Amino acid sequence: MLVPSSWLREMVEIEAGDDDLAEALTLAGLEVEAVEPAYPWLNKSQVARISRVKTLDEERNLSVCTVETSSGEVVVVCGAPNVREGMLSAFVPPGTEMPDGKEVKEAKVFGVNSAGMLASEYELLLEGDSSGIFDIGARYPSARVGQSISEVTGIEDTVFEIGITPNRPDCLSILGVAREAAALFHSSPRSPEPGINGSKDLDSVSITIEAPELCTRYVGAEVDGVRVAPSPGWLARRLLACGVRPINNIVDVTNFVLLELGQPLHAFDLDTLKGQAIVVRTAKKGEKIVTLDGRERELSEGMLLICDGERPVAVAGVMGGLDTEVTEKTNNILIESAWFAPSSIRRTAKALKLPTEASYRFERGVDPKLQKKAALRAAKLIMELAGGSFRGVRDENPVPFTPWRVRFRPGRINRLLGTQIPSQEMVQILSRLGFQVEEKEGSFETVPPSFRADIKAEEDILEEVARCHGFSRIPTSSPVATLIVERPVSFRPFLNGVRREMKGQGFSEIISYSFIGPSELKNLNLKAEDERMKAVRLMNPLAEDQSIMRTSLVPCMLSTISRNIRRRNLNLALFEVGAVFIDQGQGVIPAEYQRYCAAMTGRRFPKSWAWPEREADFFDMKGAVENLLLSLGCRDYVFEPASANLVESFYEEGTQLNIRTGEGMVGTIGQVHLGVAKAFDISQKVFLADLSLDALSGAVTSGKVFAPLDRFPSVERDLSIILDDSVRAQEVLDFIQEKAAQGLVCFYIFDVYKGKQVPKGKKSLGIHFVYRAKDRTLSEEEVEAMHGPLQEAILKGFGGVLRG
Amino acid sequence: MEDRLRSIEDEALEAVAKAQDREAIEQIKVRFLGRKGLLTNILKGLGSLPKEERPKVGKHANQVKVKIEHAIKERLKSIKRQAGPRLIKGFDPTLPGRALPLGHLHPITQVLDEVCSVFERLGFSAAKGPEIELDFYNFEALNIPPDHPARDMQDTFYVDEKVLLRTHTSPIQVRTMEVMKPPIRIIAPGKVYRCDSDITHTPMFHQVEGLMVDRDVSFAHLKGILTHFAQEIFHRDTSVRFRPSFFPFTEPSAEIDIQCVICRGDGCRVCSQTGWLEVLGAGLVHPQVLRNVNIDPEEYSGFAFGLGIERIAMLKYGINDIRLFFDNDLRFLNQF
Repeated sequence: MLVPSSWLREMVEIEAGDDDLAEALTLAGLEVEAVEPAYPWLNKSQVARISRVKTLDEERNLSVCTVETSSGEVVVVCGAPNVREGMLSAFVPPGTEMPDGKEVKEAKVFGVNSAGMLASEYELLLEGDSSGIFDIGARYPSARVGQSISEVTGIEDTVFEIGITPNRPDCLSILGVAREAAALFHSSPRSPEPGINGSKDLDSVSITIEAPELCTRYVGAEVDGVRVAPSPGWLARRLLACGVRPINNIVDVTNFVLLELGQPLHAFDLDTLKGQAIVVRTAKKGEKIVTLDGRERELSEGMLLICDGERPVAVAGVMGGLDTEVTEKTNNILIESAWFAPSSIRRTAKALKLPTEASYRFERGVDPKLQKKAALRAAKLIMELAGGSFRGVRDENPVPFTPWRVRFRPGRINRLLGTQIPSQEMVQILSRLGFQVEEKEGSFETVPPSFRADIKAEEDILEEVARCHGFSRIPTSSPVATLIVERPVSFRPFLNGVRREMKGQGFSEIISYSFIGPSELKNLNLKAEDERMKAVRLMNPLAEDQSIMRTSLVPCMLSTISRNIRRRNLNLALFEVGAVFIDQGQGVIPAEYQRYCAAMTGRRFPKSWAWPEREADFFDMKGAVENLLLSLGCRDYVFEPASANLVESFYEEGTQLNIRTGEGMVGTIGQVHLGVAKAFDISQKVFLADLSLDALSGAVTSGKVFAPLDRFPSVERDLSIILDDSVRAQEVLDFIQEKAAQGLVCFYIFDVYKGKQVPKGKKSLGIHFVYRAKDRTLSEEEVEAMHGPLQEAILKGFGGVLRG
Repeated sequence: MEDRLRSIEDEALEAVAKAQDREAIEQIKVRFLGRKGLLTNILKGLGSLPKEERPKVGKHANQVKVKIEHAIKERLKSIKRQAGPRLIKGFDPTLPGRALPLGHLHPITQVLDEVCSVFERLGFSAAKGPEIELDFYNFEALNIPPDHPARDMQDTFYVDEKVLLRTHTSPIQVRTMEVMKPPIRIIAPGKVYRCDSDITHTPMFHQVEGLMVDRDVSFAHLKGILTHFAQEIFHRDTSVRFRPSFFPFTEPSAEIDIQCVICRGDGCRVCSQTGWLEVLGAGLVHPQVLRNVNIDPEEYSGFAFGLGIERIAMLKYGINDIRLFFDNDLRFLNQF
């Protein structure tokens, strides 16, 4: 809501300056978001002397003027007939937005560079004509070059831009803000009186309300014999300062009263209404209307309409019809001033995608006692500006306004606020806000004013008291509370554990949008029956590439990698934890799963003097995941080659391992399929892990159990054997696990070698064994008795030979 | 000869005192005490002196020698102290360390943790709720009926008529109160969604919701808790301002401004010259919201608050474009 300071001060007397007023309103809940000049074009334009005039084009009456301004001489092309050397006129510099919304630009006119414009009074929205440029010297003899036009004319104002919350429609008018300001500054608002005889009945038009639940009141007022013309400067300027474009004196008056009092009005050209009737009813199927903006609107059943004897002439509370609008030819007008049900107007405006100043106010709620006063006020102003005579007014009010009562207990208000405000102060606050207050046996009853439909219960009274008393005057104190309270199960510590571990391993966390594009999902080549193809689709996405909710973190990760590579961040170790969503059908919330995705590409370690350069590979990724599992306390995991039914289409064939724990599958790792990577515009090798955090958190054993430290030394053995290259490490390890004697406490592969000294098609595997007994030091013989047969079994089992 | 010795002594002691390093000391040694040194020459030339003078001069010369040697020793110690330990040949400890690559937590995660931990220290526990919500929890249970203009305050992504992407973390309040009885103290961090995208808005962002319901919880308590929070997160002396506002699920409702962290309240571009920055929304839980979850508002009262994490992170780190958070450029992530 834009509120010009001068207009506000006409309606309430306040001594405070604009800044103090703005601060007071803000601290009472009417947030003043900006204080700006009301007529910026007048501040930017300045008095300039035309020092030289040269004819440029005789036919078009164009001349080149050299103009003296505060910043030196400027050349401007001008087409005004009254331009002459030595004249003082108004120079508008380039970059200025004029009242008509157009920006003044530097332009070439017939080969001459015109750096700004010389403006008429009309163009500047001043009182004067449009026949020539502003002859400043003639009207203001003391004007000096360089003075701003606002300074010379004294036309200057500031505008408060106020954010009005949805609960305060009563403040969507100058009067409403004036009432608030009056309450805050202990002044009283001056509501303008119509000054017209409201008892004169309107006999020319009948008014019928067929839907009284949607239109509780309809006031029609007629003014005959008007002369439609542009509005005077003061009115046009005021509207513009409030962000409303002036149109003609009739429409401008309806807008003026809307801004002044908060009652939306509409003016019909009475002679275009058929059947001398106004009928308020809901739309029938298939009805149409062409609205003021020239667009044909399909109306749906139930939308509230204003009709004449034959057809719809306005979408009630939203916009009038084109056929019945006020034009230059209009002679007699009917002013509509009504009260429409908020939710009906809101539905209609939304359905037609046609939010207007009127619908904005109706859907929030207009003062139900305002209609007649507003209609008469408009009629009076129209007669002042456009002539004509008042024919009469008709007030149809099938559901009359009934005041309501709200009880409040000062004690409870003080308890909830933590204050000790005397009840007398509460009563004073409410009285200043227009409430009637009565004391009744320790509690109080109020009758809120008709414009405060938001006041329904004690808590609403509490808020009024709190904000007018001042939030800053409410104490700041520490609650005293029960220390031990019930608490919800939280997943956060687990998620933070995952994050910390990945950070520790040199991975950086990403957070990507939960929405992706269908093409990103398609890039993964998932099978049609894969659950992840059941993505939730948004009804109103911002863009197609943000139109579905992700069912996997993988596309987000690959898109992020792609974007980074495009920006030459080639070496990446990234991870994300977040939710994915699987559609479960209409009307129910989708399944939401917590997942983890990590990926590596490019160099594993930064370039350094300390180690050779190396690309990240599969085993870097595998190691990182193993460390993650271990650090979270998950010990019984296995990595197994993917079986046919658990193959992910986005890994290179043969690189995928499935990670399984006692509780089941927790995820996969592998190298991203080169084709899939390419679909994301990535040509580097990418290694990726994709885990379910729901499954993983279930697999984490909660307790850690201490094992006594070994008291006796271990005996260690190394074995190097040459095997077929096709034998997988895991097979060997599983074999040893199966055959191992009790004393073998630990074994692992420490070396893999292919090349010199190893025949082609073979590899050398180095395995380290640790033997230990709990109760004694093992002798060489005891170890040999265990290790010898094991070694033989391995060699035999895999057809291997000892490496010499 | 005695004078000569005295002048040698003075000269030597002065040279020692001025010596800055080992090399200079070595030169002094050679010059005075070396095989052809000044003092050595005198000792060598004792033979040519009259016999009776020899013991006296010899003794004096030796005293001078001892004095110079002592001074050299002391000076060497102090030079060593100043120079620190000796370097080892072939070992250059100034080479960069063999550091493994550093990982980084996303700045949003870091700020979320910081915010949550302030409240966890006060006995609030983390709660969660679904990111894709029912209209009921996101709006209706929070006192925002269909066709209510308050719905315009949040541009909503819809999945269908009943299902939407939650526009705030407030539905978690309702879900928590449905299953828990007062006293309740929770903090609920999470992603929220609004269809809005420009330099100050992203369609997804993070909020933290807080809720406390107990007997006799008051607005003064809300002020106390949130002032404490602002001072913990920003600066111990941060001023906090409570302004009336409107949220359908709290009454009275407040917006909370902190003194601008950039200009300290003098007015700058970041705070649009007001000296204040809006960082929180809060209020006493609306009695209707309590009734909706079968908590008697005559017996219990509570406050709720919500804040945007991106905004806090932007203020803390001086980030000027919110979109950077979800762009995930490594050069951005590596700064945190």
